[in-house]
Amino acid sequence: MIVRWLVILAAVLALARGASAADVVVWHAWMGAEEAGLVAAAQRFEAGGGGRVSLVAVPFGVFDAKIETAIPRGNGPDVVIAGHGGLGKWARMGLFEPVDDLVIAPQMPVAEEAMRWEGARYGVPLAYKTLVLLYDPAQVAAPPKTTDELVALARSLAGDGRYGLAYEAGAAFYHAPFMHGFGAAMWQDGALSRLDTPAHAGALGLSARLAALGPTRPSSERIGQLYREGKAAMVISGPWFVADLGRPIAAAPLPIVSETGQPARPYLTVDGAYVTRGPNTDAARAFVSFLAGEASAIVRRDVGGQAVTTLGVSADDPVRTALAAQAAVAVPMPSDPKALMAWEPLNKALRQTQRGAASPEGAAAEAQAWLELLTRPPPEPASPTPYLMLVGVLGLLAVGRVAQRLSSVELRGQIAAHRADYLWVAPAALAVLVLVVAPFLVGATVSLFAHYEGSWTFVGLRHFADIVLSRDWPITSPMSFPFTLAVTVLWTITNVFLHVTIGVALALVLREPWVRLRAVWRVLLIVPWAVPSYITALIWRTMFDAQYGAINAVLSLVLGHPVELDWFARFSTAFAANLVTNTWLGFPFMMVIALGAMQSIPRELEEAALIDGAGYFTRLRHVLWPLLRPAMLPAVVLGSVWTFNMFNVIYLVSGGEPDGATEILISEAWRWAFSRGNRYGYAAAYAVVIFGVLFVYSRFTNRLLGKRVL
Amino acid sequence: MRPNPVVVALAHVGLVIVSLVTLYPVLWVVKMAFSPGQGFSVGLWPIPSSVTLEHFAAVLGTTASDGTWLFGRQLLNSLVVSGATSLLGLVLATTAAYALSRWDFPGKEPGLGAFLVTQMFPGVVMSVPLYLLLDLLGMLDQLAGLVLVYATTAVPFSVFTLKGYFDTIPRDLEEAAMLDGAGRVRTFVTIILPLARPALAVTGLFSFMTAWNEFVLAATLLGDPRSFTLPIVLQRYVDDYGAAWGSFAAGAIVVSIPVVALFFALQRHFIEGLTAGGVKG
Amino acid sequence: MAGIQLRSVEKRYGDTWVLRGIDVSIADGEYVVLVGPSGCGKSTLLRSIAGLNDITGGAIHIGARDVTRVSPRDRNVAMVFQSYALYPHMTVRENLAFPLKIRKDPPAAIQAAVAEVAGMLELGALLDRLPGQLSGGQRQRVAMGRAIVRRPDVFLFDEPLSNLDAALRHHMRVELKRLHRRLGATVVHVTHDQVEALTLADRILVLHQGVVQQVGPPRELFDAPANTFVATFLGSPAMNLLPGRVDDAGLSVGGVALGWVDGVGKAVRGDVTVGLRPTDVVAAAPSSAAGASPWVGAVDVTESLGAEALLHVEIGPHKLVVQVPEPSPWRAGAQVQVVPRRVHVFDPGSGRRL
Repeated sequence: MIVRWLVILAAVLALARGASAADVVVWHAWMGAEEAGLVAAAQRFEAGGGGRVSLVAVPFGVFDAKIETAIPRGNGPDVVIAGHGGLGKWARMGLFEPVDDLVIAPQMPVAEEAMRWEGARYGVPLAYKTLVLLYDPAQVAAPPKTTDELVALARSLAGDGRYGLAYEAGAAFYHAPFMHGFGAAMWQDGALSRLDTPAHAGALGLSARLAALGPTRPSSERIGQLYREGKAAMVISGPWFVADLGRPIAAAPLPIVSETGQPARPYLTVDGAYVTRGPNTDAARAFVSFLAGEASAIVRRDVGGQAVTTLGVSADDPVRTALAAQAAVAVPMPSDPKALMAWEPLNKALRQTQRGAASPEGAAAEAQAWLELLTRPPPEPASPTPYLMLVGVLGLLAVGRVAQRLSSVELRGQIAAHRADYLWVAPAALAVLVLVVAPFLVGATVSLFAHYEGSWTFVGLRHFADIVLSRDWPITSPMSFPFTLAVTVLWTITNVFLHVTIGVALALVLREPWVRLRAVWRVLLIVPWAVPSYITALIWRTMFDAQYGAINAVLSLVLGHPVELDWFARFSTAFAANLVTNTWLGFPFMMVIALGAMQSIPRELEEAALIDGAGYFTRLRHVLWPLLRPAMLPAVVLGSVWTFNMFNVIYLVSGGEPDGATEILISEAWRWAFSRGNRYGYAAAYAVVIFGVLFVYSRFTNRLLGKRVL
Repeated sequence: MRPNPVVVALAHVGLVIVSLVTLYPVLWVVKMAFSPGQGFSVGLWPIPSSVTLEHFAAVLGTTASDGTWLFGRQLLNSLVVSGATSLLGLVLATTAAYALSRWDFPGKEPGLGAFLVTQMFPGVVMSVPLYLLLDLLGMLDQLAGLVLVYATTAVPFSVFTLKGYFDTIPRDLEEAAMLDGAGRVRTFVTIILPLARPALAVTGLFSFMTAWNEFVLAATLLGDPRSFTLPIVLQRYVDDYGAAWGSFAAGAIVVSIPVVALFFALQRHFIEGLTAGGVKG
Repeated sequence: MAGIQLRSVEKRYGDTWVLRGIDVSIADGEYVVLVGPSGCGKSTLLRSIAGLNDITGGAIHIGARDVTRVSPRDRNVAMVFQSYALYPHMTVRENLAFPLKIRKDPPAAIQAAVAEVAGMLELGALLDRLPGQLSGGQRQRVAMGRAIVRRPDVFLFDEPLSNLDAALRHHMRVELKRLHRRLGATVVHVTHDQVEALTLADRILVLHQGVVQQVGPPRELFDAPANTFVATFLGSPAMNLLPGRVDDAGLSVGGVALGWVDGVGKAVRGDVTVGLRPTDVVAAAPSSAAGASPWVGAVDVTESLGAEALLHVEIGPHKLVVQVPEPSPWRAGAQVQVVPRRVHVFDPGSGRRL
């Protein structure tokens, strides 16, 4: 029977396997109208006899990781469409074919320039993105010319749930125009600039003032919503904002910074199409040059709403006209991988000043210190010899021990007698060994290397020393390992405590025969477990929104006055938000376990205690709980391990705010791997440390309980 | 032992409140899915003011550039991957758990320990090594590769749960079967597996959910939209430049329905299956 | 059908002996009951015959075949477990058919065999029920039926009646006896209940601490127990054991000379352990001349069993249980004269019968 099932399974899998027969495979991360424009352009290309094109929309979150792993191994697409900010890194990794000789329609010079890296041209420009001042013509007669005017106008338009200006003030990309307007920079002349200059401090101060005009910590969709409802008179955003608004919108270049008299200069990113290294370059080159051409540009403009870079395709509406004017003063986004390192410190400084947690000067100084840590040269290579020797000795010892044990005739006899038993375990053991243990060991080995701008250096245990001894930060800093560990432990304990308490309490009620509709309650109460957690975590995040979240609405109702608590501005409240979300997610599991455990405890015991005169709580304390505890313990240990590594909730709800204080070890590891210059080695060391902590914990609980729990 | 009416009333009121709190966030998803527009809803009450099915139509009707019904294809992918994952996961886990529950072979204790230790591996950092591994095995971009990874990830917890359950099945039954002439495999298939149905249901469901909800690995390992699973699709609705909450919510409901339905169909097995209640002869 | 030979069977875990030197032949068609207190190894021995345990030494033959290394499934033995081990997810019919299905008997033959057994055990009305829907006695019969349906060489019963109430147990005991006569099967039956052993067995095998104490027909074990263990284990109420001495004048207990009571060998001299069944004693008023015994004591407690009564008599430092017919004139505190009719004499050191 099993064999038959496996055959069917194999057949179904073979069927469902997506085979692609296209001539050109394209990976992109455009969505919405832009994606539609690309699809339309590709259809033109196919209609013109250019061969079949397969467009793959890759989720933005995994885009970089995906192309960086797939292309070097020959599994990548023929064409990649992406912003030029990562070009330096990708060109250095050799992902793309230079296309200096490719003749394409003339493009904006700044866009052409953006496609170059170290003298070679790597792609063709398609569209650019930059920030402009968007405004509601019904509320704003004439756009402000200076930032002072902007502030004054915004103030005059605010009130009654309406805002004069709303933009994503907490993101450095939106801060950049004012930073440049103050004469400060992140990147200049091929090197990172200092972030602690007076100009930076001034710009941070301005951003804080502008942020105060809008809602707290708004997301882009929130701003869109406000605008649609006529509650945001002015918005700083780009072409993507304009789609599907259902409300008239006008645009103007960003105002002049009053303090310096200089224009605000936003970053300009160019989305380009790159030909990857591979066998299929001819078709790919044909497609990218078509994409950059006039016909494609018109389709992308009209269907996709893009601000295209092709010269001669005029901007045909006021928003794109303003974009074009803005592009003239915009600063091209640096594409050097080193430049990426400045974003996180700047983001942090921005949020600190906007929260009022630091003065602009203080925040700028801190950002500079943080930047220096991130960009310091990689540690000195260590000599691998002692490590290899150690590994060799340990390996020999292990082999020796195994050999010694196997030399026992009795053991060999037992193994032989149980030969068939091993066959039963072998498939699972082999699968786990290959697909779980091996990747982890590879990861653990990586922790001995430093990854720095694409190259690997052997550094031995250096990362572990840095992490565990917290060499880079005082242990009171949210970035330090002891701090994060403490937060993680607090996170685990509070969560498991609440899961167990709520789960057991509900189980105590639900087991009573006099409760009506028991099955209904039981079903309703396991809903959080059944709905995928990444969906509900996102919903919880929106529920904690300061102005519009349901939580504050409930609090307002209960307390009788409006509550606009910014949950993510303080550690305590941000932690509480994470905790509430994860408690909601986790109590049903414990409830089910507790119900099951209670079913196996005979009611007679409690009845005996009742007859002995024990009250309800005495019975719980002295009869039920001692019997319940052993059944709950494995679930508690397992639950604490899961909570310890609960990445989703932290990442999706608080995102580590404020300043990484609510980050736990696993999310910290993720940041090092994917958003701080791909420090894979450092992240791997974090992972090994996490494993070590959990391992010690499990041994400790086993010993404490006198049996194997985990 | 029926307590006084006040306690009974209080208990029911408490249940109503807890259930409301539990359902509140879920109702938000429902509201967003049925409300026009892509913004997320504002206010206290998660009751849609006007109802539209446009998001469902848009999400369900997604087609590829060549006109094939992409959503259907992706739904099929998700179903196939998740179904195959639970099947394969069960085959791997039941055999191992049974051996670990019944026979004392050298290396059993450390082996069981090793299975459980894998639960402590931080998953986030394993996607890149896994990618390299599947590439090496030539299983990249194939649903089979994904199934293999998911099924294996689910194995340790399944072994843990199933072993606990098998431990409660009296050995007499197998001995009787053996004396009746049945071999190990036959005993396992005809006696043990039918008796372990609650635990099989629970572990099968968990493996199903592992596969059904996962998107980081899926997005990393799959390169063709026709082989994408639904979470990748769903994730794209709340990507970078502005989130399409309406579509996301509609998609979330579509994605949740099968799991929720399975949950409710199997929920009476849960309590027994997870906590290894005894088998009554 | 076939007999069973156990040849120097032994079983040990490390240094712990569970069975030692078991040498027994069970004849074809014989009903043998293994008895002993819990932990004596009787279940282990039974499971060794079934092949469910490996033995660490010796050999087991069923019929002419050495099955020591044969898998249980190929030994052609059937077992009824204490828990009955009915497959809970199968109906009674499926339970009965299971061994035949595995043997790949043709469906018609299976049906016929199941019907026959169901008729024999009056299970006809229960065939489509699940074990969970049956009473204890019904389950017991199904378990029995599953064993019978295969026509095995040997039946192994592991405390099959211990989960039944007293009335049902008695009923099933009779049923078992009838069944055995009808099938003529070789049966090995484990129990800790000596009544079961005495009533059912052709021969009883008494096991203690993994060693065979005595094998023989029930009467022989009752009348001539090989040692104090067998003597006290079989028989209810249990045999009284008292320290005594045999000299030229015969037996004396606690300094009271009792003379050459029946059962005391003429050649025996010296300290002995005296075994006295409560049924082998006559109680009389101290003054009466019934046996003119010098053995007089006070009644401590009396227990009425309906047809008989038990008197707990204190004679000096010793306590003695005496069975007397009801209605009994003895009340607590009364003086009673105790007349032994027959005694068993054992070596006080080894406990062996003298």
